[in-house]
Amino acid sequence: MDSLHAIGFYVSSGVLLIGALGVVLLPRRGLRGAALAFSGLGLAGVYYSLSAGFAGAVAFVCYAGCALMVAGPQYRTVEAVAGSAWRQVGAIGAAMLLAVLAFSAFRGDFVSATFKGGPFDAVALGRLLFAHDVVATEAVALLGLIAIAGAAAAWRLRERAR
Amino acid sequence: MTAGLVAVFFVACAMFAVGVFGAAWRRDVSAAVATIPLMFAGAGIAFAGVARFAAAGGTHLLGQEFAVLLAVAAAALVALGLGIAGREGNR
Repeated sequence: MDSLHAIGFYVSSGVLLIGALGVVLLPRRGLRGAALAFSGLGLAGVYYSLSAGFAGAVAFVCYAGCALMVAGPQYRTVEAVAGSAWRQVGAIGAAMLLAVLAFSAFRGDFVSATFKGGPFDAVALGRLLFAHDVVATEAVALLGLIAIAGAAAAWRLRERAR
Repeated sequence: MTAGLVAVFFVACAMFAVGVFGAAWRRDVSAAVATIPLMFAGAGIAFAGVARFAAAGGTHLLGQEFAVLLAVAAAALVALGLGIAGREGNR
């Protein structure tokens, strides 16, 4: 990775992490949606600097859609039943997970290879997605269909019960 | 200046941990659902980094393929989670 790509990687990583912290910490749903879109932009930049430009484009579109859904004003607030103590246990668990994963990442510097693909490489990735591993692509498409149909059915049932 | 697989793994694990923290910390279910894409982004960055730095002997794009599928699955799960959480309507 040359200097320009490395600078792009670090800047995009900063954008991504700032957006992620915004999603977690910001109080209003509109701000959270904007932070999610911001982190999607950073994720696309990270992917592009890792020579995965097509994956970055797909991720940006998906995260922009997620941001629109999260920022939508029509979702009601559902409070979880977990108490404050369990939330703090979860936060401490997340910190411990970060420590373990960071140690694993530090120990992961044992491979190096030369990447021969292009920065975008949509043709090779499309061949992989729609020819070689088409079952996985169809499975994810089925998941998306089930999710959207399930969401629509849940809304309709709730509206009918009201 | 350069960036290697360790830097990619650090960003990936930071994203995953931020997502886990958000899912554990937020009381509101719709806010907790919004952290699912963050966890998936961490996994996708790790996959894309391995495909970039550890694909010896040619263009092995399996990690990039997983990253694409994870992004689509994250969008689907957010839609499903928000649909289950419910819509406000006229109330």
